[in-house]
This record gives sequence, C-alpha cells and structure tokens, in this order.
Amino acid sequence: MTKRSSFTIFKSVIIALFLREVQTRFGSQKLGYFWAIFDAMFMVLVFAGLKSAIATNSMPGLDFPVFLATGFLAFFMWKNIVSKSMAAFSANMALFSYKQVKPIDTIITRFLIEVLVSLMATIVFLGIGLYFDFDINVKNFNMVILAVTWFAIFGFAIGLLTAVIGTFYETFNKIVNVIMTPLLFISALMYTVDSLPPILREIILYNPLVHFIEMIHGNYFNTLNTEYVSYEYMFYWTFIPLYLGLYFYIRAEKKVISSR
Amino acid sequence: MIELINVTKFYKTSNAKKYVLKNVNQVIPSHINVGILGRNGAGKSTLLRMLGGIDFPNSGAIVSDKTFSWPMGLAGGFQGSMTGRQNVKFVCRIYGKSDIEIEQAIESVKEFAEIGDYFDMPIKIYSSGMKSRLSFGLSLFFDFDYLIIDETLSVGDKNFQVKSKAALRKKMENCNVLLVSHSMPILKEICQAGIVVHAGQMYYFEDIDDAIKTYDKINKQ
Repeated sequence: MTKRSSFTIFKSVIIALFLREVQTRFGSQKLGYFWAIFDAMFMVLVFAGLKSAIATNSMPGLDFPVFLATGFLAFFMWKNIVSKSMAAFSANMALFSYKQVKPIDTIITRFLIEVLVSLMATIVFLGIGLYFDFDINVKNFNMVILAVTWFAIFGFAIGLLTAVIGTFYETFNKIVNVIMTPLLFISALMYTVDSLPPILREIILYNPLVHFIEMIHGNYFNTLNTEYVSYEYMFYWTFIPLYLGLYFYIRAEKKVISSR
Repeated sequence: MIELINVTKFYKTSNAKKYVLKNVNQVIPSHINVGILGRNGAGKSTLLRMLGGIDFPNSGAIVSDKTFSWPMGLAGGFQGSMTGRQNVKFVCRIYGKSDIEIEQAIESVKEFAEIGDYFDMPIKIYSSGMKSRLSFGLSLFFDFDYLIIDETLSVGDKNFQVKSKAALRKKMENCNVLLVSHSMPILKEICQAGIVVHAGQMYYFEDIDDAIKTYDKINKQ
C-alpha cells in the first residue's frame, strides 16, 4: 500500500466523516432539514408574537422579527457547534479503530456541518423575509460576515475545550449543557444592550455572547450601533479557549483514541 | 520488521498498575506470519491494537515501516448506527478510494460476507459472526503488509470458516498476518513464528510449536 501524505489522509477522513454525518442527520425519515430551521424559527415566532401582544414597537426603524431572526440564527449556530462538538468523540468512538481517524477530525467535521446547516437556515429565513416583505437590508454586509465567522470560531474553541475536558470529567459536559439554556435569555437576543438599565448593562456585558450578538445586530441594522462591543474581550474569549483546547487536545489525543 | 523498543504498557486499576508489557525489547522479523498466544487478559489484544496504531505504549516506542490493517476482532470497529454498506463506504473513503473502487468494494464485500439483506441494515443488529464476516471481507479489499486478526477466524459456521481460510491463504501470498487465536490447529496451520504474552513480558519464538509448548506450560502452572 502506498503511503499517503498526512494532509491527503486528513482530507479523505473529513470527507468520509462528513458524508457519514450528513447521511445520519438528513437521511430518510429523520426530518433533518426541518430541525435545521426549527429552533430559530420557533423562537422568532414566540418572541415576535409575545412582543406584538404586550408592547408597541420599541425599536423604531427596524422589523422586530428580522432583529430576532439575525440573533437567533447566530445563537443557534454557536450553540449547535458547541453541543455537537462536545459529543463528537463519544458519538464516533467506534471509528477510532481506524488509525486514520483522529478525534479532532470529528469535531472539525461537525463544525463544518453546523456552519453549512446555519447557512441553509439563513437562506430559508431570507426567502421567508423577502416573501413577507420584511425589511432585510444589511447596513454593513462584510462586518456581519466577519462577526458570524468569528462567532463560529468562538463556538469551535469552546466546543473543542469542552470535548477534551468532558472526556475525562463527564460532569463538565453536564455543566456546559446546563448553562446553555439560560444563555438564551442573557445574550441580548430579544433586546439590545442599550435598552437595558445601566446596572444590568454592566453585568450582561460579562457574557461574551452579548458582544457577538451586538456586533451582528449593530452592523445589520441602520438604527443600531456597536458602541458596547469590546473586540478585545471577544478576542480573549476566542483565543484562550482555542489555545487551551488545542493544548489539552494534543496532550490527550492518544488517551481519547485508546479510551474506547 | 517490527521493532519494540523498551515498550511499557499498563492499565491503572483502583489501587495498582496492571502491566501488560514491562520494558519489552523485541524485534519481529519481516515476511513471517506470527501467532500470538496468552491467557485471557494477558494483553494480546492490547498488543495487536498497539501494532495497529490505535493504542499507545505508556513509554517506549513501536517502530515499523510496514502498513497494518485495522485490528479485525469481535469488538467490531464498526459504527452501530450505520448499515454494512455505509460502513464499507466509510472505510474505503478514509483509505482514499475512488467512487469506482468503492462500488467494487461493495460488490466484493457483499459477495464474500453472504449476509444478504442485512448488508443494508444497521450494524447494531448484526450478530458477532456477521460483523466479523463484514470486517474480514472488507479487509481483503485492501493491500496491507500485515493483517491484524483477533480471533475472527474461529467464528462463523463451517462453510464460512472454510471460505475465509481459503481467502486468507490467497491473501497471504502478498501479505503477512499477526494472529491472535486460542485455536492451536489454526495457529499451526497459518503461522510460522509465535509470541507468548505472559506476566508483563512477551516471548518470541521462531517456531510456532515452541510457542505453543511454552503456552501449555504456562497454563499448567
């Protein structure tokens, strides 16, 4: 058998894992396509409904459902990257009996799939927005793309770190899962930071997700801005988990493979 | 050639380290089929997995310029939620096979394994015999320097045993095997050399008969 370069092997493994995951997620009778947009759609409908029932339009100059959709699409992309990465090792354990398959390949594959699924969901949302004549114009397209990409990488970093630590301390996974649900309410998804009382504003800005969501909102809507976004804070939250995740992963890779 | 340099492998139990190999230095020469013997739990499978590159010594190194198959054993190495066909495709893809080759692999594995409709059902409902049929059939499709086989030859019904032995014989014209088995006739039939794994050490014998004798002695202790 001829020796292949490690990059060639990496590429074939990613393709193989990708096709396998897509098959299990979107195979017949799995409703995969439906679930891909369900989360965000459900939240938008619930909160848009609530808002129109209890309050007048507090955000003049933008369509509130579009505001919700941009935030929730990004949030669920991040959340799914983290939770899918977290479970990637245990879901693919049997495949580590082939030495070509490295644990991190399973995380990279799931990351790619989640990004693509979010892209798909976004296109569906845009289609719906156009059809119902919502105002979906973007103020600064490039900055929105940058914010979303950065957000995805932040998800990858947290997912990798959690996956590695979770292999050895199962409780860690559970803790991260528990944190996920309240994050929905404290990540500036249904409101802007600016609309909060100063004291709450200060507290909520410790949540790194708020900065990402504000960066997206501020660059998407003409009437909003990014005055509360700290790029430095976002950088720390991306770089440190990414560094620690890779560092622990390299040290623990063999243990993960042989723990099957 | 496979060279074990100062290899130590242990498992931690609650109060002590259980050594599988302790400071083992050994050279296994090329172009020879090696049978591996040892009592249950002596570390035969661990040794195979280390040779196959999916388990690692705690210290020391295993050096070889040969290619090894994945360890074919009863434990599988297949993803339970995937069908036989999907697993075949997956393995072909990680080995970088083209679409045409994948089709060929599917045909030949399907024909060899003789598992009928189960080929398109999830592996988790397979019997262990069916799993090893699939695993063995698939391995025949690739060219390795060494096939790593863990007990799989003794499973399956009589027909399949005859068939797989014939297939293995043909395969062995171009490759060698590292075989774990508790069946002395099979070991004698296929292997020339032998390794006995016992109490943290491995002993290499150029003649499989000597290995079997040593193994018998250990069993009488």
